[in-house]
Amino acid sequence: MTTLILWLLDRIQPLFRALGADYGQLRAIVQVKLMMDNRRNIVSLGRYGKPSAENNNSFMRILLIYTIVGGVISLGMLAIPPQKSLFLPLTLQFSYIMALCAMTLISDFSSVILDSSDNQIILPRPVGNRTLWLARVVHITSYLFGIALSLSVGGILIVGYRFGPLAGLMFLALSLLSAVLMVFLTNLFYLVLMRFINEEKLREVINYFQILMAVLFYGGYQLLPRLISSQGSISRIIDHQWWHYLIPPMWMAATVDLFIKPVLDVHHLVFAILALLMPVAGLWFMNRFLTTDFTQKLSGIDSESRPEATTSSAQQPQSGQASWLEQLSTWVTTEPLERAAFAFTWRVTGRDRKFKLKTYPQLGFGLAYVVAMSFQGGSLGSSGFFYLFALYFAGLYVMVAQYQLGISDNYKASWIYGSAPIQAPGDVLVGALKALILKLLLPFYVILASYILYRYGLDKISDVLLAFSNSLVMLISSALLSTRYMPFSVAPDALKQNNTARGLLTSLILAVIGFSHYGLTFIPYGVWVATPLSMGIFFLLLQHYKKTAWSAIEMG
Amino acid sequence: MTPVIQLQNIHKSYGATLVLKGIDLSVSPGQIVGYIGPNGAGKSTTIKILIGMLPDFDGEARVLGMDVKTQSLDIKRRIGYVPENAALYDTLTPMEYLQFIGQLYELDPTHIDRKALDLLRLFQLNDYANARMTTFSKGMRQKVLLISGLLHNPDVIFLDEPLSGLDANAVVLVKEIIRQLAGSGKTIFYSSHIMEVVEKISDRIIIINQGQIVADGTFAELQHQRPESLEQLFAQLTGSDGQTGVAEEFIHTLNN
Repeated sequence: MTTLILWLLDRIQPLFRALGADYGQLRAIVQVKLMMDNRRNIVSLGRYGKPSAENNNSFMRILLIYTIVGGVISLGMLAIPPQKSLFLPLTLQFSYIMALCAMTLISDFSSVILDSSDNQIILPRPVGNRTLWLARVVHITSYLFGIALSLSVGGILIVGYRFGPLAGLMFLALSLLSAVLMVFLTNLFYLVLMRFINEEKLREVINYFQILMAVLFYGGYQLLPRLISSQGSISRIIDHQWWHYLIPPMWMAATVDLFIKPVLDVHHLVFAILALLMPVAGLWFMNRFLTTDFTQKLSGIDSESRPEATTSSAQQPQSGQASWLEQLSTWVTTEPLERAAFAFTWRVTGRDRKFKLKTYPQLGFGLAYVVAMSFQGGSLGSSGFFYLFALYFAGLYVMVAQYQLGISDNYKASWIYGSAPIQAPGDVLVGALKALILKLLLPFYVILASYILYRYGLDKISDVLLAFSNSLVMLISSALLSTRYMPFSVAPDALKQNNTARGLLTSLILAVIGFSHYGLTFIPYGVWVATPLSMGIFFLLLQHYKKTAWSAIEMG
Repeated sequence: MTPVIQLQNIHKSYGATLVLKGIDLSVSPGQIVGYIGPNGAGKSTTIKILIGMLPDFDGEARVLGMDVKTQSLDIKRRIGYVPENAALYDTLTPMEYLQFIGQLYELDPTHIDRKALDLLRLFQLNDYANARMTTFSKGMRQKVLLISGLLHNPDVIFLDEPLSGLDANAVVLVKEIIRQLAGSGKTIFYSSHIMEVVEKISDRIIIINQGQIVADGTFAELQHQRPESLEQLFAQLTGSDGQTGVAEEFIHTLNN
């Protein structure tokens, strides 16, 4: 893939020269970046960064999935509607492509865009701002093109087959332009953020944005096909409104439409001009005005994260927080070691951005999914069974957090577990797990439960309690069954992907428990009796977990 | 002789905190300048300004007669920089990394290959020339980093803690390299925390504290101010005199 990209770059050399970059340097940077992506277990590429050998297998696998998903969607939307009414399906197609590109950019590539490791290595070299910036854009865009292409290849074939190769080619070109446009918008987004927020806060804010975006898009994934199928009338011809000119997917759709019909009216022409002009104009604009700013801001990121002396005034709230945390930890823990692990986990999970980024979106998605499902008028949402399904289904998402608990970028600091005279490592594990339960699981369930109770009636409280207790049992069982790591002691890429089987097993057990629970609802007071039982099992297992010996723990 | 490095009234602030409060400095060719100061005194910031990484400062900075703000690319082509925290792309092999760096200086690839291999051999890294640097020790990385900063044969060399992580033999070697580079007319500007080294190899020592130069001269000249070691002079000038007392208190607290 690297060779292919470099070959393509060589073909469009003059473009980069025209944009004011030094092509030799640009090529060298892109080559090295791609080479490194292939080698490291690309943590910075998020979901794509699963460990792989000397190739982009995991990325290729994602692309394959996108191709299939994109193909199916295209088949559903583009194959049937008549020539006249393809505008809306096309809009949805491009929305889909753009949304995925934006999501990938923000959630997986932000670390690439905001990579400050280049500062030490490339900035001291005689590389112009423009060259460095363009190299970054090319690096990111090469991935985005892969995503955009794999999503639209189905659509391209269908459109090409039905309406001739020209329309297909147009579809292809516009998919790529969509990706470019998204690069522009994302860059702009980061720059605006950088302008108004000081550098220290920036990464924090981006972190929350990532979480929010991830939730929105995961939710969007689920909702979009549902909306389409429920609407049923997507192939109707819509009237043009002025605000349609503000929606980028419509530009793209109209341009393809122009070739499909073929038609040439003012609307289509304006849309087509926007579609072709905006990405190019965006690139030009970024290249002209934003590059210097961007690199400068970036080089600021490192140096400005100086330690801030926490003097008198700043210390006040800090100590206040510490005291209530200590208070809480004395309530829920017994051993001093357990207490220490509890407070430690509590603090780190609240501050480690990677942890938050990996877990919060999952939890948010769990909630979004439940809400989305419950509104769906169809079979599952309105059945008496659904709220139980929701409660247990949500439990799955908490397991992810438990899995993440062992991982940290600062895994090297785990030497402390080795050098400190810890006799009962189980205390540390239990303390960490308790912190996780109180900090993530409990609030999550409270929100979920309030929604369920609000929507399905207060009498479901017994079910909520039992489901919560059962989820705790599941959580501890999954902790007992999986390899035990000390909290934050494993490098992010060290954990192999052998958890698929475990995940499958867990969901199977979850389903069994869920169905048993459903059965219990038919027995009077069955749920009320089962709850203390389930709690009992939880505490038994917790005691067992607490007895974990050093021999059972795997150090990273 | 025109100075190689010239700073006039440099002010630099990060947000509201003023890091450099008026640095004036002029270095002539062939000098080895030791730039020392406590943590957070502004050493790295000064170096970053000199190599053109931080263009937004107040005052005038010239390197090799060129303005840092407007001609940073031309300056970068003729200077070498070795950062302090062993920052390199460690998933690459030394050869790949040096090849990459060489390309950024637009050197001829075959030329880089030969030169890099020779330099690696001299640092006794030839057996590891094609091994990924993820497994390298800090000293090995530092050697690669030194080569990458010198590969294009720069006229002015900025080194940030150049000896960190190196073993005793390599320290001797690098010190000798620094001396001979200066002997051949190149200017060396480096910062370090190890006073013995600074004392021995610097032609000139500059001490900064809280963004201001508090001492500037040869070691002999500085000894006039305080005849003991550089370490003590440093402690006095940077306001950390009486470390013995602090150490006593430290032990006392431990015992409690």
